[in-house]
Amino acid sequence: MKRKRKNALSRTLFYILLVLILVISLFPFFIMLMTSLKPTNEAISYNPTILPEVVTLEHYQDVFNPSLFPFLTYFKNSMIVSFLAAFISVFIGIFGAYAMSKLNFKFKSTMNSAFYTVYMFSGILLVVPLFKIISSLGLYNTRTSIIIVMIVQTLPTSIFMLKSYFDTIPKSIEEAAMIDGLTRVQIVFYITIPLAISGIASVFVYAFMVAWNDYLFASIFVSSSEFFTLTVGLNSLFATPDYVWGRMMAASLLTALPVVIMYALSERFIKKNLVEGGVKG
Amino acid sequence: MKPPQNPTETRGKNKKIKRRTGDSKIALAFLLPTIILLAGLVLYPMIENIRISFFDVPLNPNLDEIFLGLENYQTILTDRDFYRSLGVTVLYTALTVVGSTILGLGVAMLFNREFRFRKLSRSIIILSYVTPSISLVFAWQYMFNNTYGIINHWLVDVTGILDEAPLWFDNPASSFALVTIFAIWRYFPYAFISFLAILQTMDETLYEAAEIDGANAWQKFVNITLPAIRPVLITIVTLRTIWTFYMFNDVYLLTKQVDVIGVYLYEQAFSQNDMGQAAAISVVLFVILFTVIYFSRRKVDVTNET
Repeated sequence: MKRKRKNALSRTLFYILLVLILVISLFPFFIMLMTSLKPTNEAISYNPTILPEVVTLEHYQDVFNPSLFPFLTYFKNSMIVSFLAAFISVFIGIFGAYAMSKLNFKFKSTMNSAFYTVYMFSGILLVVPLFKIISSLGLYNTRTSIIIVMIVQTLPTSIFMLKSYFDTIPKSIEEAAMIDGLTRVQIVFYITIPLAISGIASVFVYAFMVAWNDYLFASIFVSSSEFFTLTVGLNSLFATPDYVWGRMMAASLLTALPVVIMYALSERFIKKNLVEGGVKG
Repeated sequence: MKPPQNPTETRGKNKKIKRRTGDSKIALAFLLPTIILLAGLVLYPMIENIRISFFDVPLNPNLDEIFLGLENYQTILTDRDFYRSLGVTVLYTALTVVGSTILGLGVAMLFNREFRFRKLSRSIIILSYVTPSISLVFAWQYMFNNTYGIINHWLVDVTGILDEAPLWFDNPASSFALVTIFAIWRYFPYAFISFLAILQTMDETLYEAAEIDGANAWQKFVNITLPAIRPVLITIVTLRTIWTFYMFNDVYLLTKQVDVIGVYLYEQAFSQNDMGQAAAISVVLFVILFTVIYFSRRKVDVTNET
């Protein structure tokens, strides 16, 4: 009887803690959603409420109206930059990771240390020379500059993650293929990539998220607003007359949506998820 | 990190050598794009950075750079703002790492049992970690707004915990508290996921045996849980320390009141337009980073597969 009561008590405590932590995690998202549905006078009321009294979709209409708000331009730029950076990082990374996983060669441990060092590196440390290099290459104020730097920023992590997926592919499969006369390049395309495709997808998601989230490089490499990515573009609207809270919240939610969807999909298909792979972030 | 066993190794010596060189060529070909990119955009910039640190670099590339010798280093090493920024960064890093690790471990232990909606709850917790900073920053700026933010409304008007509303974006001390709370909130899921993964591999019978021996919860934690999670703990603390130390995005976007070292460097380079000085700061930070990497190399498992 006593034990039963103790169990009930610990169960209640467990659910209280669980609900508390979930509320703390979700609260800012909830505020974002609710504010995006509030008319402006409610959003800046001195007596703030959580739920809107009047629900409006005007902020979403405004966000998608190019004459009011350049959201779609920024969104397009972010898409181009993140997609290309992630795609190229994964493509180059596949070959690098394959070499690190399956091939024996000199300087392998040196390469490994080099990747490890770059992996720990922060972009902020190279901001000055990279700015000079990008300018001297004539890439200042282009999307290409951000793409190139994002490839480099994500490549070591991509290789580490891909290598850990490739390591799980048994050697015997490859040996059989080599007896059949396949070259290494063919093996990568016909065996490694198909067998590790879900892992490769998760690396793509990782690289995409890093590029989508970048503010540092996008803010110094690009000066005209037609090339602004979402982070730089939205931040530049801060403290301007365009800074309508509801609109900014709608834009924030729409900015978060692609990566959250991609992450949810990749989690569903992949057992070993991104964060467990020691992903930088 | 041993290289995989080569199955041909036991066969003739000649064959082994042939196989090795064959691998080396193809390995070089496969790694070439990576090597070129890292050499061109990491290694070369690092060297260039050291060179720049000895010069006064005008923003206009057509003007000549002026050699200054060690002047940039003298300036920063005698600059009180630099040390203040370092101090702020160390405090910010320490609080964030300790806070996010302990919270992550606590929540992971809470989740280490069966309950309904466990998967959904886990996904909700990871949300702050995967959402882009810019979205989160806007939500926080709104919630903590000095005049119409809901947090100040609760703290002052509703509950009366505080007599006066903290000016989260104007007062440096409040701003510091804000960026630290934000970092703990945003990054504890990383620790949570890693700890949960290892907790789930642990043997339940160890706890049962300890219970029979009469161990209390704290004793069980210290004697069973802690030794088991140690490798993950070390990895998480090391990586999080480095990444927080060089944090730029989150702090800079949230408030301009907290100049952690990343922000200080950025402002030197792109607001003060003093590239040479910024480069010298980078070099000093390089030295710190390499020292940490050197000592952490053996203890940190990047793949975190435990």
